[in-house]
Amino acid sequence: MTASQPVIRAQGLTKTFGSVRALDGLDLEVAPGEVHGFLGPNGAGKSTTIRIVLGLIRASGGHVELFGGDPWRQAATLHERLAYVAGDVSLWPGLTGGQCLDVLGATHGGLDEARRTALIERFDLDPTKRIRDYSKGNRQKVALIAALAADAELLVLDEPTSGLDPLMEQAFQEVVRERRKDGCTVLLSSHILGEVEALADRVTIIRRGRTVTTGTLAELRRHTRTHVHAVTVDEPAGLADATGVADYVSARLDGHADSRFTIDAEHLDDVVGTLHTARIHTLTVTPPSLDALFLRSYGGDAGPLDASELGEPLEAAR
Amino acid sequence: MTATGLRAMLGVQWRTHRRGTLVWVLALIAMMVGTAGSIAGLYNTPEKIHTYAQAATTGEALVAVNGRVEGIDSLGGIIADEFGFLAAFLLPLLGISLVALMTRSEEEAGRLEAVLAGRVARHVPVLAGLTIASAAIAVTTVAFALGLTAFGVPATRSVLYAASLGALALVFAGLAALLAQVTLHSRGVYTWGLLILAAAYVLRGVGDVTRTWVTWLSPLGWAEKAAPFGDMRWWTLLIPLAVAGLFAALAVLVAGRRDLGSALVGGGPGPARATSWLRSPLGLATAIHRFSILAWLAGAVILAGTMGSLAQQFIDAVLGNPAMAAAFGVSGAQPVDEMVALTQLYIAIIATGFAVQAVGSLRGEETAGRLEMQLSGRLSRLRWLAAHGLVIVTGVVIIVLVSSVVLAAGMAWSMGTPVDFGRVLWAGAAYLPAELLVGGLALALFGLRPRAFPAAWAALAGVTFIAFLGPGLKLPNWLLDLAPTTHIGNPPLGTVEAGQLVVLGAIAVALGVAGAVGFRRRGVPQS
Repeated sequence: MTASQPVIRAQGLTKTFGSVRALDGLDLEVAPGEVHGFLGPNGAGKSTTIRIVLGLIRASGGHVELFGGDPWRQAATLHERLAYVAGDVSLWPGLTGGQCLDVLGATHGGLDEARRTALIERFDLDPTKRIRDYSKGNRQKVALIAALAADAELLVLDEPTSGLDPLMEQAFQEVVRERRKDGCTVLLSSHILGEVEALADRVTIIRRGRTVTTGTLAELRRHTRTHVHAVTVDEPAGLADATGVADYVSARLDGHADSRFTIDAEHLDDVVGTLHTARIHTLTVTPPSLDALFLRSYGGDAGPLDASELGEPLEAAR
Repeated sequence: MTATGLRAMLGVQWRTHRRGTLVWVLALIAMMVGTAGSIAGLYNTPEKIHTYAQAATTGEALVAVNGRVEGIDSLGGIIADEFGFLAAFLLPLLGISLVALMTRSEEEAGRLEAVLAGRVARHVPVLAGLTIASAAIAVTTVAFALGLTAFGVPATRSVLYAASLGALALVFAGLAALLAQVTLHSRGVYTWGLLILAAAYVLRGVGDVTRTWVTWLSPLGWAEKAAPFGDMRWWTLLIPLAVAGLFAALAVLVAGRRDLGSALVGGGPGPARATSWLRSPLGLATAIHRFSILAWLAGAVILAGTMGSLAQQFIDAVLGNPAMAAAFGVSGAQPVDEMVALTQLYIAIIATGFAVQAVGSLRGEETAGRLEMQLSGRLSRLRWLAAHGLVIVTGVVIIVLVSSVVLAAGMAWSMGTPVDFGRVLWAGAAYLPAELLVGGLALALFGLRPRAFPAAWAALAGVTFIAFLGPGLKLPNWLLDLAPTTHIGNPPLGTVEAGQLVVLGAIAVALGVAGAVGFRRRGVPQS
């Protein structure tokens, strides 16, 4: 495997369960050393994709590679290099948290002892309690510690922080950053936007079994538009027809010119120059909102979005 | 305390538990009335009844097992004696399981929280659970009384007998409701409920054998002292009813006062590290199956020990009473071998039951999502399956061999003569291919059609029915041949053909391999 070869590569994945089409031509590529956010609404096919990547279920069609190998045929060998936290953590009710940690650790080929001790401390886990006496959050912690303390090249985390409190969520983010610094690759499926924004280098958004968009957060931001609200003493000249401006609305209020519009990132500078000439009274510039991007990707009609579609103003699309 | 939301709660409980409750109640009624009917058919003359009564009261061992039945010299008395053992466990279990399912299980699963957030008072779920359990017990009681009357037992005596059993079930329903308040998990309700039941059984046995007041300490003793076929002491029904009411009232009171999800008895801490054995696939598989191996083994050992230690009484009864021999389905020519053959068939069914349940727990690991976690590591599917297969087969062998040794030891103690241990052990071991064949079928279902796994339980029920009742009901040969146990040859009484064992073993292996191949090819988890 060369350094540039992706850790995970899936192309045109399809998976049908009976008459249900869970995946419908999904693409996913995770590069070595990155934290890759994997987003999509409930039932979009995130867990199905992860199970195919791990060789737990077989794709109906398309191509999938894990560390350059076939996860279905070489599952056990390839698994030596990864650790996984399932979306719905279930552990043996009769074992203690500490016992479960060691049992799960053994499936990954043993845990780093120092890291195991440190993580138990950091996540404030009582390893002598039986699993059936744990809360959901504590069971989640056991699975997380087992994965984070493993000597793995790849961490596959399926909604790992559901059930964790904000303090533990913060601890989780710190540990993932540390693991990334050690050279670990992370595939992070999540619903929590803040978590993805804080951790992910790149994200893939899927909906109804297909990839909607993929790229770095900066790239995604570039495709969204900045909202501008300006109150100027004079009427800004020629703004309505300026390059990159859309949704232009203007009115006279208390002797001032009140203008609202959206603008793409590369033309912002020109427009601010025009506003300055018209003598700015107040100026509000709202940066591109990822929330809006995600909501739009989640809720819109089926079919992949292209850049031009993303570039359209949100209001106009509704 | 007002019972806000009782109607709604009754509706919810009934909807979610009606299927299980109905199956319990109908199976119990069918079994009790059916057995009563077959006993009425067998003991149809006063002479036969009299012979039975004499045989059953000759040894104290049978009194310890079935209880001292007053008025055993009557049809009702024989039914009460025959039922002594089964009724002592099944009716309390009915009360315990219905209440445990509707109280602590619901709370543990977190469903109660959603209900209590609505217009339902905190003590109402327990009240609703008790109400439904009591109704189920009442239906069982009425049906049983009607059934007995239909088979010729005097109506008043039938009613008192059925009522004494119903009151017994109520005591344990009330007890379970109280236990559900003090233990944190439904497993605790079962464990403590069954321990108290075992203690009640022992107290009743000791009291009956020593003829002392000790019997009065046991709920099972109260039912017995009602003497439905003797003096008919109706007033004794007040004791279980009062105790059941007291337990229920305490349970409702505690439920109204304690926090949701809390208990008086919590779980203690355990080891913080797993041993290297537990970390290995074989060790984890052992930990997963350990509890059920011990539980099934306990059942087989109790059965083998009881049968073995009653060997002498059994021989006397069979030699002195052809009708009794017919009731047990034996001919009376070689009583010792016949008893061993009969017991080994029971043990074989118990071992088969374990095999099906253990393979079913693999499906449980899958649906709970734990299998997915294990297979995401370096462990291959075949190694995981091999580890579990090895533990399950070992469990079957342990159940068969240990209970065979207990049977032989019990016989030696009872008859006071040396027993051929090898002969008893071999008779048990001969059933292994049949047991593994059903286990293999379960594994094939798990690997190839996991959603159809309940078919394995249906197969077990079919084999049990054919093995126990087939010869007595004179079923056609082709039907008898469907059960693998038929092909073993009823050792040590009949001859075992090595060829048959090899064929059964080969089918078992073929099914196991088909299951393994299917499991390797299918998706995990398959919902």
